[in-house]
Amino acid sequence: MIKDITIGQYFPFDSFVHRLDPRTKLLFTVVYIVAAFVSNNFVSLLFCFIIACVVVAISKIPLKTVIKGLRPILLIVIITSLLQIAYIKTGVPLISFWKINITSGGLLSALFMALRISLLIIMSTMLTYTTSPTSLTNGLERIFAPFKKIGIDFHTITMIMTIALRFIPTLIEETDKIMSAQKSRGANFENGNIVKRAKALVPIFIPLLFNSIRRAYELANAMTCRCYNGGKGKTTMNPLKMSGRDYFAVILTLAVIGGIIVLNIFCGEYNAEFTFNAAV
Amino acid sequence: MADTIIEFQNVTFRYEGDEGIVLSPAVKDFSLKIGGGEFVAVLGHNGSGKSTLAKLANGLLLPESGDVLVDGMNTKNEDDDIKIKQTVGVVFQNPDNQIVATIVEEDVAFGPENLGIEQSEIRRRVDGALKIVGMYNYRRHEPHKLSGGQKQRVAIAGIIAMEPRCIILDEPTAMLDPVGRKDVMNAIKRLNREMGITVVYITHYMEEACEAQRIIVMDDAKLLMDGTPEEIFSDPEKIREIGLDVPQTCRLAEMLKNSGIKITGNVLGIDELVENIDSLLRGQQNVTSCN
Repeated sequence: MIKDITIGQYFPFDSFVHRLDPRTKLLFTVVYIVAAFVSNNFVSLLFCFIIACVVVAISKIPLKTVIKGLRPILLIVIITSLLQIAYIKTGVPLISFWKINITSGGLLSALFMALRISLLIIMSTMLTYTTSPTSLTNGLERIFAPFKKIGIDFHTITMIMTIALRFIPTLIEETDKIMSAQKSRGANFENGNIVKRAKALVPIFIPLLFNSIRRAYELANAMTCRCYNGGKGKTTMNPLKMSGRDYFAVILTLAVIGGIIVLNIFCGEYNAEFTFNAAV
Repeated sequence: MADTIIEFQNVTFRYEGDEGIVLSPAVKDFSLKIGGGEFVAVLGHNGSGKSTLAKLANGLLLPESGDVLVDGMNTKNEDDDIKIKQTVGVVFQNPDNQIVATIVEEDVAFGPENLGIEQSEIRRRVDGALKIVGMYNYRRHEPHKLSGGQKQRVAIAGIIAMEPRCIILDEPTAMLDPVGRKDVMNAIKRLNREMGITVVYITHYMEEACEAQRIIVMDDAKLLMDGTPEEIFSDPEKIREIGLDVPQTCRLAEMLKNSGIKITGNVLGIDELVENIDSLLRGQQNVTSCN
């Protein structure tokens, strides 16, 4: 169960997207998220959807994996959609029973929100799927390097991020091990009410915390042995370099935001009634 | 053994106890010289001070009294700290707690990057280090998907990439399965033979210690014995007295001796022992009816 977590996972394939500079990808992701948020009609959103399809296609990440990445937020999507259906009363009434009135406007708006949230998640997971954590943190470090002048050292923060990412699988494995050990001695994690189950977790977290502290101590020793001194005078094996394909991607990024603005203006504000009438 | 790499001069060290409790020293009045190119195994049961020795040797811990000299530099001198850690690398028991990065080659590059080495040189060192431990084909892998022995070899490569003159391994095989243990041991032997790196190998596996040229036995924070494997295991009783075991080959030879079969010479290696028994059987076929 715990092993199913795919957020933050990296798939080391060789593709155009993989070879892009992490800074380019970060910029693109941020721009894309903004674009998806400002899209106010179905045509703009369709444009976003096409872009997502293109990115997934050229990244060589299997479609199944991309869709699997949506699973953790499925609940959020469903709840948001239900809220839209329940509260938006524009358009043609479709079904009406008890106190609930479902209208065409509500349905379309639910569809709109579900699509928008899914696109946001797909594109942010695409960032981690195609960028190794190290190069992602390298990218962040470079972007925030100017902050050093005002006393915020981003190197420390990115080092912490790298180590956190590195230890997630290790700690998950350890949690599984501790759980198995407790289960073999008769612990019960599945049954009982929520208070009971929460209590059953305490004997897992205490050894986990204790071991993490010991691990941190040992890691600190190992890092000291490898001459780590807080990143002073540090060089890198793979320095970040913007190449032709990065400039190409930046131009594409600008085209995305430009396209969304144009589409927003020409297709007008999203209007449930209008869209529905046009559809039928 | 032209030059001395690590020298302990009457070193005493004790860990800090909880509020006011004075612990007995982990290392007491300890003197030792390790020469360049040597392969030294350090034996001792739990709590005999052997791990403390590793941490003292590259300045992770500083002696309470006495001095530790690394290539002539005193570990107490803070200015030489980086140089000392570059000269003497330490590999610890748990490989999981030594790997920093999420990709094998990026982890191996961590040491050279900290030293501020130029990009193309880092690349050369990383590739070289991964090749010598036999992990080059795994350079783009994620460490958590490797086996224990593979992870430990990555950790060793991470130290080698800093090009140290001496490498100390603190029970590097204690958490590994027999296959992983063999792979790690082979990598270490290659380092010593092919690259001339001094190896200090802390272990409690007797069979592994026999691979070294010199064995140091520690007991109760002090140096008890210092000699070649043959010398150390020539007196199995003394080894057992301090709670250690002798290699299986040694035990077999001892049992044969006790039952009146004369075995002479080196009996530590399996091949040597087989040869020894073989020639014995041939020569004395009419005298003893063995088997």
